[in-house]
Amino acid sequence: MPETVRVLAIDREEIILKSIVKALTAKGSTTFAVKTTTSALEGLKIVRNDVFDVVFVDVAMAGLNSAELLRRIKHTSPSVSVILTSGHLSGTSFPEEVSMNADGFLSKPFTTGEIRSLLSSILRKRKG
Amino acid sequence: MIRPVPMLKHISISTRISILLGLIILVIMGVFSAVSLMKQQRDSVDALSRSTLLLSQTTEKILRLSMLKNRCDDISAAIKDIVGNEGIRSVRILNHEGIIKFSSRRSELEQHISRTNRLCTNCHAGGDSISIQPISSFYNYHLNQQTGIIYSSLPIYNAPGCYNGDCHATTSDEAAAHSGRSGAVQAIHPVHDSSETILGFIEIEVSAKKIMADISRSRMQLIFLSTMIALAASAIAYFSISFLVGKPVKRLVDGTRRVAKGDFSQQIPSGRAELGVLADSFNHMQRQLLSTQSQLIESEKLASVGKIADEIANDINNPLTGVIIFSESLIGQPEIGESDKADCQTILQEALKIRESVRNILSLARKEKPNFLPVDIGSLLDQAISIVRKLSNFRNIRIVTAMPKVFQKVSADPGLLEQVFLNLLLITSDNMQAGGVLNLSTTNREKDGKIEIRFTDKRGSISQSILQALSEQVTAADSGDIGRTSISLSVCKDIVALHKGKIYAASETGTGTSIVIELPA
Repeated sequence: MPETVRVLAIDREEIILKSIVKALTAKGSTTFAVKTTTSALEGLKIVRNDVFDVVFVDVAMAGLNSAELLRRIKHTSPSVSVILTSGHLSGTSFPEEVSMNADGFLSKPFTTGEIRSLLSSILRKRKG
Repeated sequence: MIRPVPMLKHISISTRISILLGLIILVIMGVFSAVSLMKQQRDSVDALSRSTLLLSQTTEKILRLSMLKNRCDDISAAIKDIVGNEGIRSVRILNHEGIIKFSSRRSELEQHISRTNRLCTNCHAGGDSISIQPISSFYNYHLNQQTGIIYSSLPIYNAPGCYNGDCHATTSDEAAAHSGRSGAVQAIHPVHDSSETILGFIEIEVSAKKIMADISRSRMQLIFLSTMIALAASAIAYFSISFLVGKPVKRLVDGTRRVAKGDFSQQIPSGRAELGVLADSFNHMQRQLLSTQSQLIESEKLASVGKIADEIANDINNPLTGVIIFSESLIGQPEIGESDKADCQTILQEALKIRESVRNILSLARKEKPNFLPVDIGSLLDQAISIVRKLSNFRNIRIVTAMPKVFQKVSADPGLLEQVFLNLLLITSDNMQAGGVLNLSTTNREKDGKIEIRFTDKRGSISQSILQALSEQVTAADSGDIGRTSISLSVCKDIVALHKGKIYAASETGTGTSIVIELPA
């Protein structure tokens, strides 16, 4: 039975959450179990109560800044891989302290291929 | 600390220097005039005194015979004649006892002069004591500064004719009258004894008033002349400094005030010498300031545009993600018909073009420091290829890749580099409408350790304009061409330059045309 990768997506835009779910639930070699939330604090609660392999975090989240959110997620679940997403230009908008702690970056708008390719790469690293 | 007097603060440099120069000239001329006038006065008085001595000596010689013969009337007449000459105030003859025997002033006759008179004190300094002074020094003159009169006195020396000759003799009666005794026998006696040295004096008073008036007039003339020279020099200095220094400095000051107010429109007229160089330097500085100001305004505009564009891009990118992902999903659905799939592909293709256009415009608007990370170039290329493979443009284009299995990681911004690869893939696909093979190779160059990424079209379909645009140092903004391809190429050049790399076109017979990117490892 293929392994299921547990994913949490935190983004204030519903369309992004839906797109991530759509991209990851498409037929492929890996099975993803995706949870989503539009609230940063809600996302933290979910991370505390559940176990995830990968968390997508939008840089421009309301309530908590991305650096703080990233730090708390890593503190709660050190083994989780965090992928930052941003609708702003590439990785240049990310503060340095965020960039240092993130495991990957995904610029919006992304394609199915890009998100899956990035996840594959991160999962390979986790296994290796 | 010395603070300038407020009133002086408003006096121009020309006025200050002129006043200073005028005062200096006035002082120098004043000192020079005073010294020369004093010398002139001394010389004039000396000359007049020497003339008076000569007159005294001449008078003594003329009157000697009359004195020996005791011709009193002749002597009086001669004295009267002498006094009639200009400047000679009086002539008198005194005997050794200090009694005035002859004088042009009749009221003085037979009067005694005081023993403290300088005629007596020349020899008899202690009253009656006998002088031991040399005879040659008996002649002297004295100028009374208040009255302007020169008193010249010449001694009448005893001579053999005076004590031997009988021509100048008295009878016993006369001698008795002369000595104050009476009843003497009439006999001839000489008036003077041979033991006497000086028998009397001739004293002449000469007025030096005219000379002193002339000198005073000269003094006034010199003062006037000095003042005029000082004023003229001050005026010349004022106009020269105003013309040579004051006006150029004023122009500079006005210029700095204009620039301080933000007016860069006027240049300061160029001149010669140091102030001309200063004016040129100021104009150069003004041009630089203007250029910097324009750049700053442009940067501000770009920064504002960048911020707005970034926000708009974020707003576009969120729904665009949905469009891309959902159209991709639809394309992958087996139950969707070919016609609908083609429509979905068109939607996807246009969405991806929008994505690249937005990224390109943001790249042009924002010049921020890239976020460098160790990047696997192969993965990035695979990612870019996987995106474009789904596009209808690439239906007839076969992408052949040649990459080493283990690829050295490059320090790069993954998002920006992926943008370059996608831009180049989209540009080449636009040029390969007829289809064909696009060779994509990456090499770890051993000779210089650089990473080479080569996009080659063997048919040579990549247009000359693209190849030329890559070979020249021209940006889209410079060329005025703001078409999508130009913007894409310009962005590619900027991003590669940010990575300290090179992008250029290579065209070789037999191997087609290539776009080559070189990146430092």
